[in-house]
Amino acid sequence: MNKLGRGHRDKVHQFVAITGASEDVALKALKASEWHLEGAFDVFYSQLQLRSKTDNRRLEELYNRYRDPYADMITADGITYLCNDLMVDPQDIVMLVLSWHMKAATMCEYSKQEFISGLQSLGIDSLEKFRDRIPYMRNELKDEHKFREIYNFSFAWAKEKGQKSLALDTAIGMWQLLFDERKWPLIEHWCQFLQVRHNKAISRDTWSQLLEFVRNVDPQLSNYDSEGAWPYLIDEFVEYLLENCIVQRG
Amino acid sequence: MSAMDRVVIELDQGWGFMEKGITKLKKILEGLDEPQFNPEDYMMLYTTIYNMCTQKPPHDYSQNLYEKYQESFNVYISSTVLPAIKEKHDVYMLNELVKRWKNHKLMQRWLSRFFHYLDRYFIARRSLPPLNEVALTCFRTLVYTEIKGEVRMAVITLIDQEREGEHIERSLLKDVLGIFVEMGMGNLDYYESDFEAPMLLDTASYYSRKASSWIVEDSCPEYMLKAEECLRREKERVSNYLHSSSEPKLLEKVQHELLTVVTNQLLEKENSGCQALLRDDKVDDLSRMFRLFSKIPRGLDPVSSMFKQHITAEGLALVKMAEDAASSKKVEKKDTAALQDQVFVRQVIELHDKFMAYVNDCFANHTLFHKALKEAFENFCNKGVAGSSSAELLATFCDNILKKGGNEKLSDEAIEETLEKVVKLLAYISDKDLFAEFYRKKLARRLLFGQSASEDHERSILSKLKQQCGGQFTSKMEGMVTDMTLAKDNQSSFEEYLTSNPHTSAGLDLTVNVLTTGFWPTYKSSDLRLPEEMVKCVEVFKEYYQTKTKHRKLTWIYSLGMCNVNGKFDAKTVEMIVTTYQAAVLLLFNSSDRWSYADIVQHSNLSDEDVFRILHSLSCAKYKILNKEPATKTISPTDVFEFNHKFTDKMRRIKIPLPPLDEKKKVIEDVDKDRRYAIDASIVRIMKSRKVLNHQQLISECVEQLSRNFKPDFKVIKKRIEDLITRDYLERDKENPNVFKYLA
Repeated sequence: MNKLGRGHRDKVHQFVAITGASEDVALKALKASEWHLEGAFDVFYSQLQLRSKTDNRRLEELYNRYRDPYADMITADGITYLCNDLMVDPQDIVMLVLSWHMKAATMCEYSKQEFISGLQSLGIDSLEKFRDRIPYMRNELKDEHKFREIYNFSFAWAKEKGQKSLALDTAIGMWQLLFDERKWPLIEHWCQFLQVRHNKAISRDTWSQLLEFVRNVDPQLSNYDSEGAWPYLIDEFVEYLLENCIVQRG
Repeated sequence: MSAMDRVVIELDQGWGFMEKGITKLKKILEGLDEPQFNPEDYMMLYTTIYNMCTQKPPHDYSQNLYEKYQESFNVYISSTVLPAIKEKHDVYMLNELVKRWKNHKLMQRWLSRFFHYLDRYFIARRSLPPLNEVALTCFRTLVYTEIKGEVRMAVITLIDQEREGEHIERSLLKDVLGIFVEMGMGNLDYYESDFEAPMLLDTASYYSRKASSWIVEDSCPEYMLKAEECLRREKERVSNYLHSSSEPKLLEKVQHELLTVVTNQLLEKENSGCQALLRDDKVDDLSRMFRLFSKIPRGLDPVSSMFKQHITAEGLALVKMAEDAASSKKVEKKDTAALQDQVFVRQVIELHDKFMAYVNDCFANHTLFHKALKEAFENFCNKGVAGSSSAELLATFCDNILKKGGNEKLSDEAIEETLEKVVKLLAYISDKDLFAEFYRKKLARRLLFGQSASEDHERSILSKLKQQCGGQFTSKMEGMVTDMTLAKDNQSSFEEYLTSNPHTSAGLDLTVNVLTTGFWPTYKSSDLRLPEEMVKCVEVFKEYYQTKTKHRKLTWIYSLGMCNVNGKFDAKTVEMIVTTYQAAVLLLFNSSDRWSYADIVQHSNLSDEDVFRILHSLSCAKYKILNKEPATKTISPTDVFEFNHKFTDKMRRIKIPLPPLDEKKKVIEDVDKDRRYAIDASIVRIMKSRKVLNHQQLISECVEQLSRNFKPDFKVIKKRIEDLITRDYLERDKENPNVFKYLA
């Protein structure tokens, strides 16, 4: 609170006075709406709705609509059907966010448990509510913390069951998707580098450290510490950039 | 006479009497014709004072007498002493001063005796300075303070004259400086501030001038000689007339001006400086340099760093020479190239001996120079020559000394000495584990092919290596040597088994070396199809071995075997000593005189690589046991081979060597693999004990731990850390990805 400017502090106080929420909640809501009081109210009240009870029977119905006829789970076909209903492209990143809410173990399938608990946490028990939630889920990607969680989640989700590492092609696909959302100027070079020089699967450590690299090191590499604990693949990427004069070290 | 009866002496009266005595004393001091005091004179004077001090008031004149005592000095000094000194100059003044001081002391001694009674009671009661101090203060205030400046200048002038080689009166200076010292009455304050400090300044500027001109005109050795001489003379000066406490300060000043200020100019002199002296082996000059520079603070640093540079340059020159020699040789002359490598190692050993001698003789075994030597050698000893690492070269060198018929033909002591030196060189090589692996491979060959010249030497070098590098370094090699001894025992019991079991006779003598797998390098077990003739005895051995132990598995490595084969040629039978592989190929010709390359490969079940080498050794080398069609110098897969009936040799028994495959690549691969395990183990060990550690520290501790065996590559360590993260031994700290945590 101390770091806020006068104007912002005032807004927090106003928010708290009107909604009766705590300062923390007020802060979150205001930040999410870029300090527009009314936008913040929207966010707040929609979250309130999340906590409203979802009708379990209706959830079951929803599940049955998409489940696989032969197995007690939703498979790729069911997911496609769901996307149609939601009017969302199956490749849309919002599906990733959805999977994250469900804590889905692997891509292209949802267990009953995952589907139902995910929808419950989002306060969804009808297609209409589902569609309404889509913009909210999209917005979540703009939050730095949530983005990081979703990013790290997607490693385990995207890899093959039983494998420790993520296949290169899948990784590249995921990265392109994720960094289209949160822009990173070097994403194309990264993907090229991997295909030319690495050609092997990606470890979890490399995956998670890449986001740190993106977040902390500027695209001109001016604050890159070569003695640091970056994974060797990232060190090699930096060398690659310098060798090919994509970046000039100042 | 009791005090009551004594006649009172009035002050004037008593003092008048004393004055007479003082006047007499002055005359004596002036050297006038005046008789000495006799005992009665003395008694009278003393008693007069005594009486005047013990009279009852108002006639106790102690205070007055004390003042008159002082006044006597003041008067005498002002009227006579000081003028006498001041009217003279230079040496003459100094002489006068010394004379007058001696007189003063005499006067003080005599007067103190006369006035002694004052010293006994009066001064203590009134806490006044004693008589001798009073007298000295008079002199100091009236004379010393007046003339000290001129005296000092005169003295310094004389000193400088002496420095220029003139003859001066040393005893005079000693006396003069004695006065400065005595002025302090126990401390050296006056000496230090009134004489010593200015003298040191003068000395500094004197030598600064000298240094400036000498440094330009003289060569380094000449300059050093002069410097040494100057220091010696200054030291002498102190013992001749300066106060001993001046010695360290004086020498320090001289050293500073002559050495510290000009260090770089002196040492870097083009044709005579440190580097040149090292180059030209000027032992005396270098010793002098060491002596001189060890006295100034950090003076040895530039010398030792030039020493290090020189050694490094010489070492690198040897490396370059060897590289040039290797690249200029043609590929076929492999032997001479190998010889050149051995020459290189010899040269490095000699270089080491030479510079170690310098450290011991010229540089008095000083640690700084040992360090310089070590760092220089570490620098160039790790450079390979012509694709072979220094570790390999060293191992090959050892091999040559230790094997029969090696290039080196040396006496036992010479061998011991050389082995000693080689082991010392090993200390400078960072890839010690690579050396160990090469050594092990070559040791295996020596042991298994009976090429080892002396078991004593083998054991001796192993114990030296153990001492230097630790037991773990040599444990496998020792195991190998022991295995050979055990193998002999095993063989004798095998032979007993044969004699007691006649059915086992196979018509061939078989010797088997059973080796412990862990100690020996890894070998591929071959798929050789054993010739008929040999199959039976191998089976017999297997049976025998079963009787000894059921829990061990035997893996046959035919590639390491040797065979004696009798070749029944037209002229005569010749016994050929060959490897088992070669024998297998030769024996094919028992069933048919002609064999094609393809058939040989198929029938023997050996690889192309092996067959190639074998056939080459039998048809294109020194002894042509087989005739090759076409008779070219190299083997090709379309060749056909025929038994050469006409072969003969003047010897009844010949050795047909099969040159070994180049093991270099495999050795390097094996060592790299071991290193990865070693790094993993080290990281886990460190993290287990520290629990949490940041990246930089982890890496530096890891390098430290492994430095005894090799220098791990920074990138490799990083990869291993990541691998350990993937295997869930470590994780990154959530807040700070530069920090690692141990996962139990």
